[in-house]
Amino acid sequence: MTPEAFLDMVIGILPAFATFYMVALGHSIFEKAGILNLAIDGVFFAATGAAVVGAVGLGNPVYGSILAAVVAAILGLFMSFVLTYLPISHGAVGLSLQFLGYGLGIVFGYSVRLAVGAIYSYAYSRDAVYEITLVALAIGVLVHLLVEKTKLGSAIRACGENPHAAAALGVNVIATRLIAGALGFALIGLGSSLFVLLWVRIWDIKTYTLGYGWLAFAVALAAGRHPLFLIPIALLFGGLVDLQTTIQARLKVPADVAKLVPFVGALVLMLAYSMTRLRRVFAQPTSLGKPYYKEEKSI
Amino acid sequence: MTKTFPGDVVALENVSIDIARGEFTAILGENGAGKSTLVKILYGVYVADKGVIRIEGREVQIKNPTDAIKNGIVMVSQIPQLIDRLTVEENLSLSLARLGLLSSPRKLRKTIEEVSGKLKTKIDPTAKVWSLTYTQKQIVEIIRAVMLGAKLLILDEALTYLPLEERRKFYAYLKEFKEQGGAVVFTTHKIPEALEVADRIYVLRRGRLVGSLTREEATLDKVRELMFGEAAKQITYERFSEPYSVPPGRSIIEVKNLRVLGDFEELAVRDVSLVVREGEIVGIAGVVGNGQRELLEAVVGLRPVSGGAIIIDGVEITRKGVSTTRELGVGFIPDQPLRYAASSENTVLENIAALFSRKNLIIRWNEMKSLTQKLIREFAIWPPREEAHVKLLSGGNIMKVVVSREITYARKALVAYNPTRGLDEVTATHVRRCIRNKAEKERVAVLFASEDLDEVLQLSDSVYVMNSGKLYGPFDPVKTPREEIEKFMVV
Amino acid sequence: MRIVLLRRKKPLKYGSALTIGLSLALGVVLFTVFAWIIGLNPLLVLYTISSSFVFPGTVKDFLVLTLLGYALLVAFKGSLWNIGAEGQFHIALLPTVYVTLICFFTLEQVPAYVSVAVILLSIVLATIAGALWGGLAGAIKAYAGVDEVPVTLILNYIAYYIGNILILGPFQGKYVYGYKRTDMLPDPYRVSIIVRVPSTGNPLLDSVFAYVRELIMYFAWILGLLVVVLLVRWLFNNTTLGLRIKVLGSNPDYLVTLGYDVKKLTVVTFMISGAIVGFTAALYFHGYLYRLEYPLEYVSGQYGYLAILVTWLSLLEIRLIPVSAYIVASLIMGSQRLVALPEVKKALEAAGFYGVETSFRLLMFGSILLTYSIMRFLQEYELKVIRE
Repeated sequence: MTPEAFLDMVIGILPAFATFYMVALGHSIFEKAGILNLAIDGVFFAATGAAVVGAVGLGNPVYGSILAAVVAAILGLFMSFVLTYLPISHGAVGLSLQFLGYGLGIVFGYSVRLAVGAIYSYAYSRDAVYEITLVALAIGVLVHLLVEKTKLGSAIRACGENPHAAAALGVNVIATRLIAGALGFALIGLGSSLFVLLWVRIWDIKTYTLGYGWLAFAVALAAGRHPLFLIPIALLFGGLVDLQTTIQARLKVPADVAKLVPFVGALVLMLAYSMTRLRRVFAQPTSLGKPYYKEEKSI
Repeated sequence: MTKTFPGDVVALENVSIDIARGEFTAILGENGAGKSTLVKILYGVYVADKGVIRIEGREVQIKNPTDAIKNGIVMVSQIPQLIDRLTVEENLSLSLARLGLLSSPRKLRKTIEEVSGKLKTKIDPTAKVWSLTYTQKQIVEIIRAVMLGAKLLILDEALTYLPLEERRKFYAYLKEFKEQGGAVVFTTHKIPEALEVADRIYVLRRGRLVGSLTREEATLDKVRELMFGEAAKQITYERFSEPYSVPPGRSIIEVKNLRVLGDFEELAVRDVSLVVREGEIVGIAGVVGNGQRELLEAVVGLRPVSGGAIIIDGVEITRKGVSTTRELGVGFIPDQPLRYAASSENTVLENIAALFSRKNLIIRWNEMKSLTQKLIREFAIWPPREEAHVKLLSGGNIMKVVVSREITYARKALVAYNPTRGLDEVTATHVRRCIRNKAEKERVAVLFASEDLDEVLQLSDSVYVMNSGKLYGPFDPVKTPREEIEKFMVV
Repeated sequence: MRIVLLRRKKPLKYGSALTIGLSLALGVVLFTVFAWIIGLNPLLVLYTISSSFVFPGTVKDFLVLTLLGYALLVAFKGSLWNIGAEGQFHIALLPTVYVTLICFFTLEQVPAYVSVAVILLSIVLATIAGALWGGLAGAIKAYAGVDEVPVTLILNYIAYYIGNILILGPFQGKYVYGYKRTDMLPDPYRVSIIVRVPSTGNPLLDSVFAYVRELIMYFAWILGLLVVVLLVRWLFNNTTLGLRIKVLGSNPDYLVTLGYDVKKLTVVTFMISGAIVGFTAALYFHGYLYRLEYPLEYVSGQYGYLAILVTWLSLLEIRLIPVSAYIVASLIMGSQRLVALPEVKKALEAAGFYGVETSFRLLMFGSILLTYSIMRFLQEYELKVIRE
């Protein structure tokens, strides 16, 4: 393959990259605060619905992204609030929100689809991909600086490692988690809007069966939820998914085989992460998914 | 102060104390007496059902630690409340962020240097907390208190398990603190610690204030009687029998040049060798965090070994794992037994059956039931129902389930870490007596580590000290002077 | 005055019934209020939903959900969140198709012993397939330490695509005029018992007869269900394995201290769970489905996900699974019947509620699950009001 062809290919998968990167990034911040996010696929889909409502209803794809971010942030606030105030299962609430998200997404998106049919003309222009990718990378760098260098970042990490010690140190656990919830999910919403408005440019009710939110989950896991290491992995997955048709044509395999590849890839990636030193370097927050209850017995 | 916990557990009943400026005030009581509850109310961790807090005559509302800190009250607990994966600086700056106290990194470092200098211990502000020793972590906690402008410092058993020499470093600093107008309150269940520095001692028993003594009034006997009342007869810190009163037999636990890694990939156990024989009790003393936990976990097979060998009753089990060890008949009381040795959603019966049914496919419930009932009776486990879910039991009772179970299971050897932690003194004495009997009568080999030097001296035939991963000793628990052993404990 | 959250020292009386009842009630109420807002008659909604409890169509869903409920119970008792029942279900259908439609396909009658042998073989292979697919998820969780929820979900997608590939490939029917499906299951391999009952003219009697007819039709499933119930009960009440699973669910660290291999136990538990799913899939195929269509998704009616709700609602109590399954089956039937009513459809569309069937179901499912997850805490904790 010539260098030009390679470059073309990379540029071609930039929309996919931007989508996966933003979703995985938002998911990472959220989980860094210690809350397990099993709602990711549902929020993803709901946000795509909100994105088309915004884009078509208000006439500009940017409004679509904003609306998607806002809707997702509301879900994020709800989830972090409920899971910090009440000592209940993160997984159960996450899964519930996943299904609710699917339903909400259909409600948002289907009405638009019936009203205007194709949303192609309401999407971002093809040239916008360069600016959007730059914005995405910039956001990534900012998030990295936030988490590593600021007090808010330390507070978020503290809540994820040991919310009890964090509270003893004086961190306002609920406020910190709410911020992480809003910010994290807003980015997920942003990424989801890029899915419909930049990448595939179609909205279909069956989108909720695609499971791309879970691919982003795997991406975030393998990259250790690190804003910078997410970049290459998001790029890889963007490629695996986006080039499905190419893979199909080149290797002459059925469509379903090509669709299978990213999922098998995700599985392999999760295995690679868990079984190598990566796991120690990119350890997950110690208190991820643990119900937060004050006044524990101690001995 | 009056405080009741769910399940109608009365933790405190009508307890009133005065804390004076410029004084060390000790709150003395055995485990479960309520001293921790009292200071936690003062720090806002708990809220009392009845009672008031007055500072300099003014009534104050303390509903959470932030309120307490605003009133100049800061508490340091036995377990440092720090985030392991963050640095010292990051941890400290988090406290300040909350209260709106802005502090430049330079001022932060200056304070760290100043306080750690006074305590004669070097602390690197950019070091991650997991790499610090226990003493260093407690110093960081004191630094935190200083930076928060503490006027009343509460130490909730924070220094209890440090060797005397380390404690003295803190005392020197705290003396300066109190002379500058501060007040220090510390809780402990160790009488000598209270008698060391306290200007005033309050004694709690079963949630009630039973005595208030000044330094001149306090004697060992008077305090003992106040602390335990009638039960004082059942408690002893004296040895049950002389070391090696029963001659030991063949070697059961053999550790050769063992090297073990800790949780953060550091070398926690460095070339340790020892032998425990049939009927022998070997005790390892040492401040927490020096490798004792990792050593015992490796011996039992819970922690992988990086070098050396472990042989139990002639069988090399170095790379074999816990299953083999258990099958050989080894009982194990781990660190943090509530977390690692009990299942809260299961019943007491199930917790015990899980261990004793190891080899069977079908559980013989009748056998398990009678065994459980026997243990409940013998160790006075409350509530005395085998169908009770473990989560409903108090911490001390869960500990009883664990200890009774493991001691009974041990056929060849018993490995234990802090075997009587959290137990009231009567039960603790009973447990120690059981262990002694188990060794002498049933010829079980006992290897245990305890942060409580008194316990090690009372129970062992042979004493070792573990410091920074290395083993020192053996020492004779009766003949070796205590100060000499404590010297080895200092880092 | 403050509200304080405390752990219960004594379990809540009738706690189980309260939690289930409360969350269901809340879910249904929310739903009805929502229906009222968009202009539907709430009484109609309530009537349709409550009459579904005695609707004959509910029987089929009830039986499948009870079986799957037990499958998930085994895993959930070990705190292993087997969200992969969908995938295990689909994977198990593949050997059943292979055995009945490829190997032993026939267009004529066969002797009874051949029918029995083929059906049994099919069921056995399906059970094994389910066990292996479940075991795969368990192994990944146990040996690679990856959270089982995303793993089982990803495996669902993989199973779904594998099934699709096979349906368009070697499993493609020969007698289907090019449609993307497999052939129909030959009559000798079907296990449903069809009874024709003539209409008595009395609607009440008719529906009773229809209900009984359903029960008879799925008689084989009822037998299978009994077998599964007995096995699961025996597992948890009498075997060491069952006790170990329970402890795994509460504190795996304790199991490690005891000297058990937690990894092997995880795999075994997942295998048992997957096996029951596979068993159910085979019964479903032989008793109702009879063929697979492309795309595979619509085949199983999302039972795998509904079963999660069933098992959660039962609070992991063996006796309560059928109760909870019946309630969920009735609710699903209720929502289906509701959405099929013409006036409801119009009202929903007028309110902008498009994509009606699917979104309705998802929203109801999600909100009941959510209220349940939140209400669950009342079982373990209590709210106390402290006046100062």
